[in-house]
Amino acid sequence: MKRWLHSLFIRAATLIAGVLAVSGVAAGGTPYVVANDDQSTGVFSGDGVSFYAVAGNGLLTLQKQVAMGGLGIGGGFFGANRIGVLDSGKRGCVYASEAATGDIVGIVVSTLTVGGKATGSDTDAGTSNGIGLAMNDQYLYASFTDSNTIGTFSVQPGCDLAFLNDTAVAGLQGGTINGMAVHGNLLIATYTDGSIESFDITGGTPLSNGDKQYSTATRNSQDATYPNSIDITSDGHFAIFGDTSTSIVVEVSDISSGKLSKTVAYKYTASISSSNVMLSPDETLLYVANTQGDSVTALFFDKTTGKLSRGCTSNPLRGVSTNWSYLAGLALISQTGAGGGVYVAEFGSTSGIAMVRLAVSGATCSLHEATASPFAEPNSPGLLSIGNFPPRSF
Amino acid sequence: MHSVSRWLLAIAVCGFPFLRVAAQCPARPSAGTVVADPFSISSQNGVLSAQFVLARSVDGTGYTHYCYKYTAPSKVVEAPTLRLNPGDQLDLTVVNRIKDDDATTMSMPASAATTCGDGGAMTLDSTNVHFHGMNVPPKCHQDDVINTLIQPGTPGFKYNMKIPSTERPGLYWYHPHVHGFTEFQVNGGAAGALIVEGMEKVRPEVAGLTERVFVIRQQYLVPWIPGPYQLTLNYQVAQAIGGAKPIIQMKPGEKQFWRVANATLQDFMPLEVLVNGTPQPLELIALDGYPLAQTRTQTTILVPPAGRAEFIVQAPPSGASASFFTDAYSTGPTGNPDIQQTLATIALNKNADSSQMPKASGDEIRFPDPTDAAVTAERNLFFSEEFGGTNGPIQFYITVDGQKQKVFEPDEKPVIVTKVGAVEDWTVENRALETHAFHIHQIHFQVLEVDGKPVTNKDLRDTIEIPFWEGKGPFHSVKVRMDFRDPTTAGTFVFHCHILLHEDLGMMHKIEVDP
Repeated sequence: MKRWLHSLFIRAATLIAGVLAVSGVAAGGTPYVVANDDQSTGVFSGDGVSFYAVAGNGLLTLQKQVAMGGLGIGGGFFGANRIGVLDSGKRGCVYASEAATGDIVGIVVSTLTVGGKATGSDTDAGTSNGIGLAMNDQYLYASFTDSNTIGTFSVQPGCDLAFLNDTAVAGLQGGTINGMAVHGNLLIATYTDGSIESFDITGGTPLSNGDKQYSTATRNSQDATYPNSIDITSDGHFAIFGDTSTSIVVEVSDISSGKLSKTVAYKYTASISSSNVMLSPDETLLYVANTQGDSVTALFFDKTTGKLSRGCTSNPLRGVSTNWSYLAGLALISQTGAGGGVYVAEFGSTSGIAMVRLAVSGATCSLHEATASPFAEPNSPGLLSIGNFPPRSF
Repeated sequence: MHSVSRWLLAIAVCGFPFLRVAAQCPARPSAGTVVADPFSISSQNGVLSAQFVLARSVDGTGYTHYCYKYTAPSKVVEAPTLRLNPGDQLDLTVVNRIKDDDATTMSMPASAATTCGDGGAMTLDSTNVHFHGMNVPPKCHQDDVINTLIQPGTPGFKYNMKIPSTERPGLYWYHPHVHGFTEFQVNGGAAGALIVEGMEKVRPEVAGLTERVFVIRQQYLVPWIPGPYQLTLNYQVAQAIGGAKPIIQMKPGEKQFWRVANATLQDFMPLEVLVNGTPQPLELIALDGYPLAQTRTQTTILVPPAGRAEFIVQAPPSGASASFFTDAYSTGPTGNPDIQQTLATIALNKNADSSQMPKASGDEIRFPDPTDAAVTAERNLFFSEEFGGTNGPIQFYITVDGQKQKVFEPDEKPVIVTKVGAVEDWTVENRALETHAFHIHQIHFQVLEVDGKPVTNKDLRDTIEIPFWEGKGPFHSVKVRMDFRDPTTAGTFVFHCHILLHEDLGMMHKIEVDP
């Protein structure tokens, strides 16, 4: 394709994606950005999930905080996503974890009420660094970062959950479970010692595929680098790891065999750390929250080869060091095309949700923080995890 | 270092120890009182013999004290200053009277190499002593911290060492150094000053001046639990918010010679003396126990954790408002905030006590100077951290470039092997988002470059700060000259970050110097 035609095509696709998002077509109802408030004390409004209605222009308005009744911890691992979203058939549920009290709460999106609540076993605990969530239509998996266990829950009607069992896990050097992602019958986990592992979840309970290994960047790097969060391509061909590092490091593993292969590491020096990553709906871009670099990066992704290439990085987002100190979880502005940019959680005493818009021109892109950004998150003393409802299609 | 990580350390290594009170520590000074110098013990006829009993107790506000108790003729004192001359003999017996029933749940394997002292596992109740900055051999009964363990309930352990005749006059200090547990004991106050006499022979500027010895310590309520810390000046709390401050007495206009040890866990201290809010010129005499080649005047003296500064202060005239102050210091995005605070108010009193330095004798002491020595090797090292969440870094490394990053293990092989006679230039980078304090045992190093640029003052130090990486541009670095020509350096010893939690978590390695 000629370069100008390719560019025109991309622009058109981006425009169409924007129109679709603005029209609310993707959601079939009110689209939300949801935030796990992760309150560790009752001094705010009580712990809950804050639902932000997404306007046609992408701006957010806090619609309601749904109280969960327990307590979070106000911090923890970046890669442990504390929000799970299910939008299957007529079920519209948002699940959120509360690490201090050990609850996982299901919220019925149509009514914005709590549908159910479950806890793991007596020994499951995530009070130091949180409880991460990953799920499919049938099961929700919870990573308990203190007990180093994966709790398996079955998804119940009415956004309820039923605890099934625990699976003890650990990295190669005893590392603590951190990020998780699910695709089909595969669950992939990262550990804080730089190792990664996949599990077969055909029967619900995770069974190791025997592929536990150090990531390439961990093994080879002279910097302290290890995988944190995970995303998986729609066809289940590649798992992508966002690494914690002193630069941007993203690793890709071919998982088409049903197991992890040796990761290929990509390093960029445009910013610091890349603990949270998320693919765009069309999988042409990988969004990266530069956790300690105060910016957002987009890398071009070839979903056929699994290769990443240089993209663009935003300027430092507003309020860094004064209102917030880390960037963490990501959500998409649009559920189609290249995603139109991302919302990103700002962790700090004055937490917020930043909105960073994307523009693509041929093989280049740019990211700019929206004028109205950030949107205050008054219910959270330390925001780490956000998500879209309805979620991305894969 | 975000302090939640301390809690994680405790969970990972220790569980939750609930300390039980064993032998009591002496009461510490009340807030708002006049700061006295530490009790001092001087060598007699070339020998200083003393016995310390390390004890632990919990005070009325919940702080756990670890104290070196010394029984003086009329009272029991805590962490006295040891005063010796070059060439003197130090005979120090250390008796461990810590007892904690939960300690069996908290241990680290000891070195598989030769043991020294009581042996056994390294626990919260184990101890030993490091003579920080002293150029004495890294041998059992001298300044070994790798193999020496003193366990509770045993008769005690004897340190016998000869202070080298070439040891520079200055301020050194002593503290426990059991890997994995150093922070706990230093947090409790187990640290004291050691002075090698004769500064007036090298720097006659101090002859006849009133000498003051200040040891600044830092205490957390529980070292690993998030919360504010307190600084203390000679054990008097300096950070009583809105409360009374320690009082340093000076005669109006008087010059005093202050010898200040930063015995904190991790506080980088830009020290100043303020008069009516303005930093005053301070005549810097020595750093880390080593007299400067030439004195210089500064209004701020940055002293990293474990560093020492000796300087001349001139009191203002009557009527002025004066204070001893540490300014704020940024340790980077993942470091702890080091806040500014007044360490003491300076009260002008024409009847203030004075304890004067001897008059200058005219003797001159010469020391080996590495400036023009032939360099036998160059090495590159770097600090780095793993950082996965809001609770701060979870792994701390110091690595020789080209080697695999790993945390210190007591039975590890040395990562650097050299020999007596070597003179090496080391470049130490900081690739972390937190400032670190590089320290090496047994020797001082000469500072050659900072961030690749030659420095004007080629000071000899044993601890130096390396600022955090800002996220772009080159890493901050220092280039230092390591002088292993002295045969007393032969043996195996350690280099590490002197933020004590980092050291305890393994930001440390061994170096072997072959005879």
